[in-house]
Amino acid sequence: MQHLLSLLVKSIFVENVIFAFFLGMCSFLAVSKKIKTAFGLGLAVIFVMILTTPLNYLILTYMLGEGALAWIHPSLASVDLTFLSFILFISTIAGAVQLVEMIVEKFTPALYNALGIFLPLITVNCSILGTSLFMQEREYNFSETLVFSLGAGIGFFLAIVLLAAIRERLQYSNIPEPLKGLGIAMIITGLMGMAFLSFSGIQL
Amino acid sequence: MKFIRRIVDSIKPHFEKGGRFEKLHPAFDALETFLFVPGETTSGGVHVRDAIDLKRTMVTVIIALVPTMLFGMWNVGYQHHLAYGMEAGLMDNFMFGFWKVLPIIVVSYAAGLGVEFIFAVVKGHSVSEGYLVTGLLIPLTLPVTVPLWMVALAAIFCTLLGKEIFGGTGMNFMNPALLARAFLFFAFPAYMSGDIWTDLSPEAGQAIVDAYSGATNLVTFDTNHTLLPSAGDMFWGFEQGSIGETSVFACLIGAFILIATGIGSWKIIVSCFAGAYFMGLILNGLAPDDLPMHSMHTPAYYHWLMGGFAFGAVYMATDPVSAAQTERGKWIYGLLIGAFTVILRVFNPAYPEGVMLSILLMNVFAPLIDHVVVERHIKRRLKRA
Repeated sequence: MQHLLSLLVKSIFVENVIFAFFLGMCSFLAVSKKIKTAFGLGLAVIFVMILTTPLNYLILTYMLGEGALAWIHPSLASVDLTFLSFILFISTIAGAVQLVEMIVEKFTPALYNALGIFLPLITVNCSILGTSLFMQEREYNFSETLVFSLGAGIGFFLAIVLLAAIRERLQYSNIPEPLKGLGIAMIITGLMGMAFLSFSGIQL
Repeated sequence: MKFIRRIVDSIKPHFEKGGRFEKLHPAFDALETFLFVPGETTSGGVHVRDAIDLKRTMVTVIIALVPTMLFGMWNVGYQHHLAYGMEAGLMDNFMFGFWKVLPIIVVSYAAGLGVEFIFAVVKGHSVSEGYLVTGLLIPLTLPVTVPLWMVALAAIFCTLLGKEIFGGTGMNFMNPALLARAFLFFAFPAYMSGDIWTDLSPEAGQAIVDAYSGATNLVTFDTNHTLLPSAGDMFWGFEQGSIGETSVFACLIGAFILIATGIGSWKIIVSCFAGAYFMGLILNGLAPDDLPMHSMHTPAYYHWLMGGFAFGAVYMATDPVSAAQTERGKWIYGLLIGAFTVILRVFNPAYPEGVMLSILLMNVFAPLIDHVVVERHIKRRLKRA
């Protein structure tokens, strides 16, 4: 139990997908102009994360891994389909995003319009594929995968909402013309990353 | 005074519109208004008149910083002579420290103000007084042995990327002085940790005494908290550390000035101390009994006295620009700083001092805290209506 809790804290703060790995930067920078939309996208990312990563875990353990197909017939025990993991992971994610898109369009059309192209683009949000690949690489078991995907999602959510809050506050700042928009967002991200360095080195 | 006035008046036409150095007008303006009260009336739409303007605010903060600065200078000399086992009087200690600290302060001001002047000239606005405080805060957060080029680098970095890029004083979201400190801490770890806290320039015919140890209290605290010096020594500041941070007493004088003049928020200072104390108590409760030397056993109030906690809480956390702006948000902001400082000190062996990083992190969180407070307020009022 304590192990899972520390994994959660670790994946939210210490190994934040944005500030420690720089995954999912495109939507992080593009959808962080307003807190409301950032909040919506963050929730969508959390949802897709906790849906796809455990699903990918099941696919990995029962279809792709070395000897994973042995449950069908013992003669398949020597088959190793790991090379298919990229393509299967990304199709799972694409399917899940379709689901989210339908839900968001149905229930909050305003958010759907505000997110625009970035909602379907969650499919290619590197933080989501990254989480699945971390799961594979670090050989997490099922409960660890669940906790890790939740933590990674919350980490992304936290980062994007924080950036949006800062950018809303900086609306009245006299930022030099060439730096407005993406330029200053990059610099803010760097400075935030420096503050988040305070977590690196925490032993859990 | 008349003499200076005459000089300023004689060169003034060159900086006016159409003059030879028209482009340098902001630099001239800064110098003139620094020396004399401007004789012009306001033009334009806003006619707010207040005795407290930015210049006076900044000067008040500097006055509040003077006790820590003077004590810091004395302590530099005291620690130096202590390391060599020499007897030295009050003035000897002070003068030794004075000549060590003065170059750091001068370099910090020169580098930072240089950037400010360039930006003011290029962008055509007047030079803001914001750097006066930052320029003094940076040296006070550094160890006395810091190379001067690093001070200049940090001052330029924090003025450029921490402030000017957002449009200058009052428009940044992180405390520039802390940013400078953190920049040096991460970029040059070898110069910012280890045996650097006491100036060990050689003394004729003297050797370093055996009892000398380069470790600060925070390092001692991590290995064995029972070896910490007495609470009194840490309160008055007879310990090693960055120039301005050692004396809690001097910081409290500064806190008194800031609170009495209404420039620093008492809510932030009080909640910082409260947050650290509560977190200390919680950790005392959770501390493992079989490890009596573990840092979790440290009495909670020790966290107030160790390292730069008081300095950070009084001078850094209260920065009105980067702190939370709402009144309720200030309580949350301060409590989180205090609590997080203690967590970092105890659980993060990589960074013995948690104050700097926890304030920077809360600078990042402050806009979100404000947003949540305001949204909740709006919801409550809507319900009432």
